[in-house]
Amino acid sequence: MIPMEYILVISSSLFAVGAAGVILRKNAIIVLMSIELMLNAANINLVAFSSYLGDARGQAFALFSIGIAAAEVAVGLAILLNLNKLRKTVNVDDINLLRW
Amino acid sequence: MDILEYAWLIPVIPLLAFVIVGFLGAKMKDKGGMVAILGTAGGMVLALWVAFEVLTTGRVFEVSMDWVILSSEYRLEMGVFLDSVAAMMLIVVSLISFLVVIYSTAYMHDEGPRRHRYYTEICLFVGVMLGLVIANNFIQLFIFWELVGLCSYLLIGFWFERPSAASAAKKAFLVTRVGDVMFMIGLFLLFTELKTLNFNLVWDSLETADAATLAFAGFFLFGGAIGKSAQFPLHDWLPDAMEGPTTVSALIHAATMVNAGVYLVARAFPILTTSGEVSLFVGVIGGVTAFIAATMALCAPKIKGVLAYSTVSQLGYMILALGAGAFMWNHGHEVAASIAFGAGLFHLMNHAFFKGLLFLGAGLVIYYVHTEELNKMGGLGKYMKVTSITMLIASLSIAGIPPLSGFWSKDEVLAATFDAGDINLTFALLWILGVATAFMTAFYMFRMWFMVFKGQPNECSKDAIEHGQHKHEAPLAMLLPLVVLATLAFGSGFCLFIGDGFFGSVYYHDAHILGIGERLTEVFTSPLTYISIVAAVGGLLLAYFSFFKTKVSAEKVVAKGFPKAMRQLLLDRYKFPVTYDKIGYVGLYGFSLLLDKFDRYVIDGIVNAISAFLVRAGGVVRKAQTGFIQSYTTLLLAGVSLIIILLYVVGALR
Repeated sequence: MIPMEYILVISSSLFAVGAAGVILRKNAIIVLMSIELMLNAANINLVAFSSYLGDARGQAFALFSIGIAAAEVAVGLAILLNLNKLRKTVNVDDINLLRW
Repeated sequence: MDILEYAWLIPVIPLLAFVIVGFLGAKMKDKGGMVAILGTAGGMVLALWVAFEVLTTGRVFEVSMDWVILSSEYRLEMGVFLDSVAAMMLIVVSLISFLVVIYSTAYMHDEGPRRHRYYTEICLFVGVMLGLVIANNFIQLFIFWELVGLCSYLLIGFWFERPSAASAAKKAFLVTRVGDVMFMIGLFLLFTELKTLNFNLVWDSLETADAATLAFAGFFLFGGAIGKSAQFPLHDWLPDAMEGPTTVSALIHAATMVNAGVYLVARAFPILTTSGEVSLFVGVIGGVTAFIAATMALCAPKIKGVLAYSTVSQLGYMILALGAGAFMWNHGHEVAASIAFGAGLFHLMNHAFFKGLLFLGAGLVIYYVHTEELNKMGGLGKYMKVTSITMLIASLSIAGIPPLSGFWSKDEVLAATFDAGDINLTFALLWILGVATAFMTAFYMFRMWFMVFKGQPNECSKDAIEHGQHKHEAPLAMLLPLVVLATLAFGSGFCLFIGDGFFGSVYYHDAHILGIGERLTEVFTSPLTYISIVAAVGGLLLAYFSFFKTKVSAEKVVAKGFPKAMRQLLLDRYKFPVTYDKIGYVGLYGFSLLLDKFDRYVIDGIVNAISAFLVRAGGVVRKAQTGFIQSYTTLLLAGVSLIIILLYVVGALR
């Protein structure tokens, strides 16, 4: 069995990559995808702990999380689609209407 | 059936009439006058019955129940307490109120729909005053006391559209309020010290209580009486209270409001006896009030003004007698003290009758000539026979001419003061003031009587006589109360010869039991009696000569120089109203200005500073809201990481 630490290292690196993507990339679609990465890092953790503790509840949570992520992506992409229609851009730096 | 069990109904019947008149009176044809008469009559019948039972059997009756239980130690109660003092008050209050209400039905007849309000307030007034009298503890007395104050405010301001009436009502309310605050302080002191306010329990536990606290309690309770009974220096509201209808003045002066103060002093009498200083103070206030009010009455221009000052002055007599009594008790002369106590209350009763009569008579005069100015009247004696004769009786009585009622009680008051003078010289001085007051009383009463009923008719009375709007002197409903009161004003003094000298035994059971013969011998062998008779007759004669003989004409005497200045001073009531206005203006207005500045610059300054700070801080901080989603995310991540690191450092995650 793969030791727990490996899995945790993988998931946290995945999380870090996602976070970096969210912060650094300018394309909104990529940002959205990076959010998915972060979510999946969390899912890996859930599954890992589930098998480590011998408790199926963690896997159930992971399934829930995947389902919700799918719904969220649908909403997010719809917003981006509309945004692209209106502003002809998906660059997050151009979308700063909501400010002082 | 024991009638005393039903004594609680005495105030309830007029209060029931108050509710009925208040809600239904507007629809009644006479605006509730009949209900008011029935209510006060019901109260009176029951009150007289109860008083008869108490006075003939000498019983002291009390029922009491817990009302508010504050803690196991402190509880307030409610109940009925009847002794001979309460019985006497019941007679006075219920009888005079009943007569006044009958009189009102005629006097207020022209007021139209406003009579509804009048009757409503009168019923409440009578009801709460009767409730005050039968209270068995100080807090119940205080509650009814406040209600009496409220009613007098409402009735003095009955013609509220007149600015003078509105301000007189306010003045009466505010000035008595000063006394009420003192009353409350007295109550608090008494309650914390004795843990009860029940009359009997208070009187019984005085021996064991702290003397200093009791002295202060007595002082402050007396402060309440100073306000209510218009004693110096809070006497100034009573002359202004003349702005109400004359019937209301009669009620306030004879039956209700001002008697409440004397009644309170009578109830607090045992507390006063514990301190020589406080009882001396009571006596001094009484004597000084009697004197200065009498001087102000000397040249009062209005008929009701004369009567108002005379009320203040006579109340001073009552307070003087009670103070002298308390003082003598404090020095161990208990028999003399109970005579003095009785004298004060005896004077209260007699005064109520003749002052009620005088006011109702003055009401008739005003009703007839439509003016209150004495020098516009004159020569009315021929046209107002009943009024002039009944008022003559009342004037003789208040002047202290034997054998009318005022003579007996005033003589008792002065004798008591003289007795107290043996112990402390101050009372001897007060006795001299008292005799001087008796002299002035006779003078001003007859000055008023002559100016109204004798001499040549002046403008207003001439008008009234010639145009003859009145075929008769007055309706029967107005004359009948006068006649009844005249009988009482003539005869109530003979109560002195009933039993043990009226009140002798209220607080001291062996006091002063003398037969009629002994009593008469005692009165007429004492030189003091002759001094007061001489003073009274002297005043009367002076009034006569200054009115009929032009040689000693009052106008010439006061034409110039010191007498003129003195007269002006008296007309200005020793500048009391002006001074109070000044105090009010400078003190209150200055203080308000100060508060205004404080509010404007300190309170508002703080509030404005806070808001200005927040506005500026917001201006600075809002720059962080850039609209770039990624910088938010960065901050979010940094923040969460920071928190986690911190939690790790402090050990919460370990």
